Amino acid sequence: MSCDEFVRMAGAYLDGELPDNERRRFEDHLAVCDACRRELAELKRLTEDLNMMRFKEPGDEELETYWSGVYNRLERGIGWILLAVGAILTLCYGAFKIIEEMIRDPAISVILKVGVCALIAGLVVLFVSLLRERLVVHKVDRYAREVER
Amino acid sequence: MNENETALLQRCQAGDKDAFGPIVKKYAGRASGIACLLLGCPDEAGDASQEAFVRAWRNIRRFDTHSPFYPWYSAILRNVCKSRLRRRARRRTVALTEGHRDSSSNTDPVLLAERNERKDAIWRAVMRLSDRFREIILMKHFQDMSYKEIAAALDIPIGTVMSRLHSARRALRETLAGEGS
Repeated sequence: MSCDEFVRMAGAYLDGELPDNERRRFEDHLAVCDACRRELAELKRLTEDLNMMRFKEPGDEELETYWSGVYNRLERGIGWILLAVGAILTLCYGAFKIIEEMIRDPAISVILKVGVCALIAGLVVLFVSLLRERLVVHKVDRYAREVER
Repeated sequence: MNENETALLQRCQAGDKDAFGPIVKKYAGRASGIACLLLGCPDEAGDASQEAFVRAWRNIRRFDTHSPFYPWYSAILRNVCKSRLRRRARRRTVALTEGHRDSSSNTDPVLLAERNERKDAIWRAVMRLSDRFREIILMKHFQDMSYKEIAAALDIPIGTVMSRLHSARRALRETLAGEGS
């Protein structure tokens, strides 16, 4: 085994991830190479330090606040969906009624009728375009999807 | 995974939100720490890890309760953080165009359980790694994942895990040596 090969395998050796035959070759080389022993000792220090790194455990109060945040989001999720669906349905119905009334009313000028119709049509086009963009992004963005085990 | 957690997760699958509380509380600290290191921003870590718990809840019926919860959750958390980083990168492009500096990074190791000079230096060095190296260091050392689990999570061969981890540790050592630690 060359020293270069040794260095590449040193991490896996310390992690206990080397197969038996490679581990034996590794240890044979280690027995005869001072430079590699020093290299391994340095790497061992780093991996041991890394393994000792632990995250702070939040206190009870912090955990309660954290859980409340998650719980509120869980509940609000349904609320936002219902709100969005309700708003879309109400706006669509309202727009339809406005157009219907305006077209029937002879007192309203044609220019105003055309203007309002164009305004509503523009809003619909923009909404559909945004919705389509969101759907396309969601479809191609692999990070937006959940993982399944 | 202990029996208690399995039972809680089964209750979650039946729609019992209260059963999700102990699960969230058990992993909240680790989840926030990992999110902090992935995002490089302690302020955003809590929000991202909470978002990941919400996504986990919404998909809880797809979860196999015979498997451990944390690796599954950790993959969701990783996806949430990646999405945020991508959004941040887009915003940063706009901000830089407008002549602003990005102030979302904070390399202070505020979420470490114990702090000393060496640990603080390691934290800062981990923060300075590229996303790819930081991610694999987090998986191996902060989440105690095996090479096989890392390979599955990143969808790469075990040989690549070994070589990437080797490069990441080398980069880490160089950064630490540069700091004189």
